[in-house]
Amino acid sequence: MTSFIDYVLGGFGSGMIIALMALALVLTWRATRVVNFAQVGQAMFTTFIALSLQTLTGSWVIALVGAMVAGALLGVIVQYLVLRPVKRADTSGAIIATFGVLIALQAAAGMIWGGDSRAYPQPFGNTAITLFGREWPVSAYDLVVVGFAVILVVGLTLLFTRTNLGLAMRATAFNPEVARLSGIRVGRTLTIGWALAGIVGAVAGVLVAPTSAISPNSFDILLVFAFTAAVIGGLDSLIGAVALGIGTGLILSVVSGYSDSSNAPVVALVLLAVNLVLKPEGVFGHHKARSV
Amino acid sequence: MMRDLLRLPGARLVLHAAVALLAWLLLVGITGMVDPLMNYYIALMAMYATAMFGMTILVGLSGQVSLGNGALMAVGGYVFAVTTLNWETVPFTGIAMNGIWAMLFAAIGGVLIGLLIGGLGARLRGPYLAGLTLGVAVGVPAIANRFPELLGGETGLQLTVPYPAGGYAAAGEFVDEAFTEDFPTEQQDELPTEQIEDLPTEQVEELPTEQDASGDDLLTLDNFPNEGDVLTEGDVLTDGDFSADGDDLLTLDNFPNEGDVLTDGDVPTDGDFSADGDDLLTLDNFPTEDELPADPSAPDGALDPEFAVDPDVEATFDGLDGLDAGFILEQWQAVLAVSVACIVAFLALNLVRGRQGRQWRAVRDDSVAAAVAGISPGRSKVSAFVVSSVFAALAGAVFAQILSYVGPGAFGLGLSLSLLVGVVLGGRGSLWGAVIGAVLLVWLPEFVLRAAGDRGWEEQVTNNAPNLIYGLLVVAVVLVAPGGIVGSLQSLVRRVRRTPASPSAAGLAERVDAGVGKDDS
Repeated sequence: MTSFIDYVLGGFGSGMIIALMALALVLTWRATRVVNFAQVGQAMFTTFIALSLQTLTGSWVIALVGAMVAGALLGVIVQYLVLRPVKRADTSGAIIATFGVLIALQAAAGMIWGGDSRAYPQPFGNTAITLFGREWPVSAYDLVVVGFAVILVVGLTLLFTRTNLGLAMRATAFNPEVARLSGIRVGRTLTIGWALAGIVGAVAGVLVAPTSAISPNSFDILLVFAFTAAVIGGLDSLIGAVALGIGTGLILSVVSGYSDSSNAPVVALVLLAVNLVLKPEGVFGHHKARSV
Repeated sequence: MMRDLLRLPGARLVLHAAVALLAWLLLVGITGMVDPLMNYYIALMAMYATAMFGMTILVGLSGQVSLGNGALMAVGGYVFAVTTLNWETVPFTGIAMNGIWAMLFAAIGGVLIGLLIGGLGARLRGPYLAGLTLGVAVGVPAIANRFPELLGGETGLQLTVPYPAGGYAAAGEFVDEAFTEDFPTEQQDELPTEQIEDLPTEQVEELPTEQDASGDDLLTLDNFPNEGDVLTEGDVLTDGDFSADGDDLLTLDNFPNEGDVLTDGDVPTDGDFSADGDDLLTLDNFPTEDELPADPSAPDGALDPEFAVDPDVEATFDGLDGLDAGFILEQWQAVLAVSVACIVAFLALNLVRGRQGRQWRAVRDDSVAAAVAGISPGRSKVSAFVVSSVFAALAGAVFAQILSYVGPGAFGLGLSLSLLVGVVLGGRGSLWGAVIGAVLLVWLPEFVLRAAGDRGWEEQVTNNAPNLIYGLLVVAVVLVAPGGIVGSLQSLVRRVRRTPASPSAAGLAERVDAGVGKDDS
């Protein structure tokens, strides 16, 4: 039983990161009805930028801020240059284009920084916290990760519920035509959505990098986990993405704890398949995942 | 005239069979004329084309974007490997197991996984299906880790008998008796017992790191044994087969000093593959192997750099009948891959141009209208998935034989992505596009490698340049020319034909175009 509790607690850090990446997927989906499969590629790229900044300046904070700026820029560039011009009728086109971006970004990162895995420096202690006479599988760094995730989620929630921009974004997501008629600059709103997603993804990348190594392909698996979380959460729902992201992290942590971490992708696949069969619109969503 | 003839019952079938047969004869003729490296490329292209015929049907005709076909290839490859390694006879029949049976089992595996995933995915809309198949691409190869005993875990499985010595394709046809007797007995006895125990300890560190270090995501040519840099990987993948000396698998470290290896007591087995001192891993050695056992003084010959250009061996490159004189591994691989590709192309032609193809297109364009016309959209989509899955499984079985190896790394997300890249660049929905895509996938990395050699690029630039080009090309094709290369050529032809402004000519062009779009797809 104690090991079960340990595994659950140990899953919180990784769950938060999955939640952030799922949040990024949901933000682009809400903005443009596109699942941005290049999101982890963008996050990988900005994390490499952060690593370069960190080596240059030695400051974790500067690296994080740099990654966020780069993430926003990259999101805008991808949306503006790639997704916006895709013909509406070509339904497969947008999906394929995002994979094209993913391939290109991974290759570009490999060109610039090489294909080898690199360690990302630990900003805070990574030793288990001792409290009440026992060691807990939680480090100070995990708490920082959870803290950042909470700040981002609260910030986004405030943005969406309390600001004019958030209202415009919700209106655009709900019905772009009506939003345009009401005087919302839809194109700009969509681009802002992608920039926000880029920022969230960049933060997720910088936060996950110290717990694993970083290489051009090292975030591929995160894409599967984040997609699983986002879809089960409903793709439309910020709360759903966060809740299911954490949930997915916990489940994967427990599974990895009792068996082996190499089972995690299979478990994610099973979770995704079961969800798509039983409740394809997701737990929190109301968007149709099925046709016919 | 032609059109009327084609209306006869069975005429299409005959035409498609003739096309496939002609293509097969032409390609097999070519394999007899080119050098082993070219044959190796032909084998890879045919293998990619086989898988991409399925992708064309799935992505192009049925409109389901799948990232999972690399994993479906893994299913085929693993079924092939596991059945050849573990079954001596075909279950319930007592017939001796051979490669054709193993490929049949791989195809059956393809049907089952296709039904499973297609059934799950058939009713899902675009991004959901893409995400599900992405999970398949990442999750299915990881299943190998779950069963290290049976599937070899992270290190994968070495195939014992990838070529006719094991009994398929009528061994006598290809190889003389000495070869059939000497080679397989050693391998079949030793590998299954010893290698499975040894691999995890010795190769665990080597394989993954070397695959990671290559840095590129897509499976490109530099992953394969023929490139200079890749000698490291090639030996891990293939030479394990031949190191019959059990406890001392050939690893990178052993290679620099082949002299030592040869002077060891192990000469008879090691000599087999280090036949020519300076060129260990190009696999050109294998053609000469059948001669080595007959020649007890092999160690001397093996160290002689001239050994590789033995006139007998050269003679075998001259033509098809060379297969009788000596066994060239690459040529055999090419013939195998081309044969499978032509059979699959025949099946695909009949499906695409027949009733089934029309149903797939109808469901893709408007599933409600198709349902009103009496087509079941769900069944249509599942059938497309099953067909593409069978083709992928066959391609996977061929791939396993080309590599003499199956492992999670060989069938990773990169393979799935490269299949998608090939289909999109060649032209979604066109079987010719699949062929062009296959050629591009093999040729472009080679071209880049050469260009890089000329310009003196750094290795990490060279390794990643093909994927950067692929990624940018995919985006460009989606934005500018959604029909890919074939679609662009078709619209070019259409434009040229339309220039005579007479309405009847335009009408004719329209009809011809429709015909082109349908027939040449």
